[in-house]
Amino acid sequence: MSGTGHKVLIANRGEIAMRVMRACVGLGLDFVCVHTPEDVHSGHVRLARELGGEGAVYRIHSYLDANELFAVADAAKATAVHPGYGFFAEDFRFARRVVRRDRPMEFIGPSWWVIRDLGDKINTKRIARSLDVPTVPGSDRPVYSEMEADEIAASLFEFQATQGIIDGVIMVKASAGGGGMGIEEVGSFDEFRSVFRRIRNYAKRNFGDEGVLIEQRIFDFNHLEVQVVSERGGRNHVHFGTRNCSIQSTGKQKRVEVAPGFAPGVVPYTFDAARTLADITDYSLAMAREAGYDNVGTWEWIVTPRGEPFLMEVNTRIQVENGVSAVISRVKGQPVDIITEQIRLALGQSLGYSQEDIAFEGVGIEYRIVAENTDNRFTPCAGTVTRLSWQEHDWLRVFTQVPPDAPYDIPMEYDPNLALAIVWGTDLDEAKARGLRFLDELVLEGTVSGREGAFYTNIRYLAGMTGEILEF
Amino acid sequence: MLNIKELLDTVKASPYREIVIHAPHTGVVEFTGLKAGDRVHGRFGEYKEKPGTLLGHLTREKNKKPIHAPEKGEVGMIRTELEGKFVEAGEPLVTIKHFLTRQEVIELVLQKALYLFRAPERAKYYFVPEVDQKLKVSGKRSVKVREGMELMIVSRMKRETPLSYSGPEGIIYSVYFGRGDNVDEGEPLIGVCPEDQLSVIQDVVARIQSEWEEE
Repeated sequence: MSGTGHKVLIANRGEIAMRVMRACVGLGLDFVCVHTPEDVHSGHVRLARELGGEGAVYRIHSYLDANELFAVADAAKATAVHPGYGFFAEDFRFARRVVRRDRPMEFIGPSWWVIRDLGDKINTKRIARSLDVPTVPGSDRPVYSEMEADEIAASLFEFQATQGIIDGVIMVKASAGGGGMGIEEVGSFDEFRSVFRRIRNYAKRNFGDEGVLIEQRIFDFNHLEVQVVSERGGRNHVHFGTRNCSIQSTGKQKRVEVAPGFAPGVVPYTFDAARTLADITDYSLAMAREAGYDNVGTWEWIVTPRGEPFLMEVNTRIQVENGVSAVISRVKGQPVDIITEQIRLALGQSLGYSQEDIAFEGVGIEYRIVAENTDNRFTPCAGTVTRLSWQEHDWLRVFTQVPPDAPYDIPMEYDPNLALAIVWGTDLDEAKARGLRFLDELVLEGTVSGREGAFYTNIRYLAGMTGEILEF
Repeated sequence: MLNIKELLDTVKASPYREIVIHAPHTGVVEFTGLKAGDRVHGRFGEYKEKPGTLLGHLTREKNKKPIHAPEKGEVGMIRTELEGKFVEAGEPLVTIKHFLTRQEVIELVLQKALYLFRAPERAKYYFVPEVDQKLKVSGKRSVKVREGMELMIVSRMKRETPLSYSGPEGIIYSVYFGRGDNVDEGEPLIGVCPEDQLSVIQDVVARIQSEWEEE
């Protein structure tokens, strides 16, 4: 392939770093990985040593220090950078630096101008509207002006009313806030202005920035995604189906993802679910063509109880849940790995197939295994995993950075995901039954401050939610 | 009862602290020619605005970052074999034998005298905005704490939860963590002085001020 001879710097951690490493090995590419002191015992460091030797591992201070990553790239003579997800994955300035520095490299993701254009939510909405793609109302950026805030709030209440929601609620939150601070819900337009002023003052006082976000409080909507894959040059685009990511923690963190996004004919819907899936897929591809999209990406949608889709945003990167789309996809009858596709397309290979060559088989469910107390606002545990084990099956794949043979201190600096499990079944019932079987066989034990009773997992929660998969 | 003399004698028996300067990030290291036994100084100036002795530079992606001595002392070990080489983050570069300052001794002794409110778990800690504001404007000893008072925000894994104070009522006398620092479980967060012991604590401070001679 044209990418042969490349050496990929994997600028990420944990399971995504491990999946990228394996994809590199599969493509015959060298790689180098990085880790922070907190991640010294992460499985990605161990796997890098196994697959690439001692020289494939560099200790850095932070995954968010671009200069440091470039210094490692130079020291290791890397020729391409894979940002994974999070960190620099959607930072167009980083992507631009990769390709424009004195010793340029390939950026394994969309071109920097594509990330810039679709990362700007106003621009994304402009492209969407030009193609008659419906977009979700709400503030695209921090709002400072009272008049603008009033207009947005009015449009949100109006939108909810058109969706048949009688007691509509919107959220007003400090743009710079976090952890639930500076957030209030507003149930009517009459209350809105005083809440807006209060939150704006709070934001100014506590965060030094009085920007406020005004969003929908989403109760009854489903969250769907379309997985798009595009060739460099932005001419050939295909999709790898839809995903449903509606099962989320209270902190809006996804916990279960399912592909395809609905099960028409199996689960009863009050709308034409097949039509909705076709619409969001068509809309996503139309936007990809219009924007000259040129790598993997995800179009995120909310679907109302009436089956109407509205575009939320475009994620210009590989997603955590890419594997659940891959598990139901076949290209010319063969399995596909979307990370492998991402790398080889970014390094200049042609797609080599069209939408007609892609077929979908069965149902995939991805579970995110997390040490967290689901009964207490999904509070994560900063403890030690003493055992993580599961039964192997040909319908199951588990990705984890937790070492199988040693205690693992969960770093508190990063996302609390411990493992991803992807289950496949010929139909929804089989996938759910296999999912429950996997969760039943899964063992996740640990301690917090040496105490076993203080270690919580979300396994029971995941099993409970399995019954509700794809139901609206 | 606090035995200040005994505590001071313990500190005097070992009045040094070894400071290890690590590479703060990856990069190519260059030293400035210092050798073992050389004297260095820490930040100085009326507002501590002037940096300490230049120990070396670390360059990554054309950014040359100076590495200064954080405290005064004597150079113990210097890794001259790394001169001009690429080092990983955290690599030890220089050690400094530092003679404890009067303020450091006060803090050491006070840790024995104050009530220490400790970190319940490994995390980053922040004061709640009202307390933070008061500490910034009026100083540490302006904040009175009491059992059950919401005092801090515990931040870990992108989640923040409130933390209430537990312990005797008193004023915050010492703060042992910095903004953005990771604090291990059991490490002290603040030292609290019950109001009825304020005079004892002030005596401790006064005594160290007069008895401890800085180098």
